[in-house]
Amino acid sequence: MQELDFTGLACPMPIIKLKKFLAESSGLREPFIVVLSDKGGLKDIPAFCQQQKLFCELKKTEPFFVFQIQRVVGANE
Amino acid sequence: MSETAFFPDQFSVIQSKGTLDWAYASFILASTAAVMDKEVELFFTFYGLKCLLKDSNGLKITPLGRPDMVVKSPIGPEWLQKIDWNQKLPGLVWTLPGMSSLATKGFKKQLQKQGQLPFDELREMCLELGVKVTACQMTVDLMGFEASDFIEGIEFAGAPSYFVQTPATQSLFI
Repeated sequence: MQELDFTGLACPMPIIKLKKFLAESSGLREPFIVVLSDKGGLKDIPAFCQQQKLFCELKKTEPFFVFQIQRVVGANE
Repeated sequence: MSETAFFPDQFSVIQSKGTLDWAYASFILASTAAVMDKEVELFFTFYGLKCLLKDSNGLKITPLGRPDMVVKSPIGPEWLQKIDWNQKLPGLVWTLPGMSSLATKGFKKQLQKQGQLPFDELREMCLELGVKVTACQMTVDLMGFEASDFIEGIEFAGAPSYFVQTPATQSLFI
């Protein structure tokens, strides 16, 4: 599964990089992993995903926050 | 349909301050709003114009007259980094020559340590993300600036142009 490493980045860079990734991979339907160290991301990533109609699940919190994200079929199309 | 419902996806900031900390605040908020598909407009007036100059080295911070500012060392042992020097030291200290440069250097280092972009890159990124940036023509003239002093990709207009296209609510004044 593709993994995006956003560790060491502070708000808002993780969501900016996530948005850029989504724009560059518009055909991607498979889930991918986002790893981040920014504590705010624990709330911000799900909020961003909700607004962008992405499925988002928190997988791990140690040592970093790990989210699995996937486009919802039919959304944003 | 109410006025606010008519402009559901807009965010705007009127920036009147030209210090590095407040410049960061606006551009960070703007970049966040832009990637969340909001139409973002930043309007720079008075000293806020300094945020748009090609040479951004003039953006500084100073704890002088700023009791709210947190001044911590980005280097040294952990106990040292926890000290807020703006609380510990008498305000007179910040009047000494070089203190503003020292505080600015420390602030930049702290931002870098936290993973923030250098200011010029953050500003450039906002323009790439489609943030609309307008410099207030009246204050450009008032401060004696030339259009060539400013970065590329911005517009020059007055407050009426700003108000005609910004939302009925959700404007910040910084």
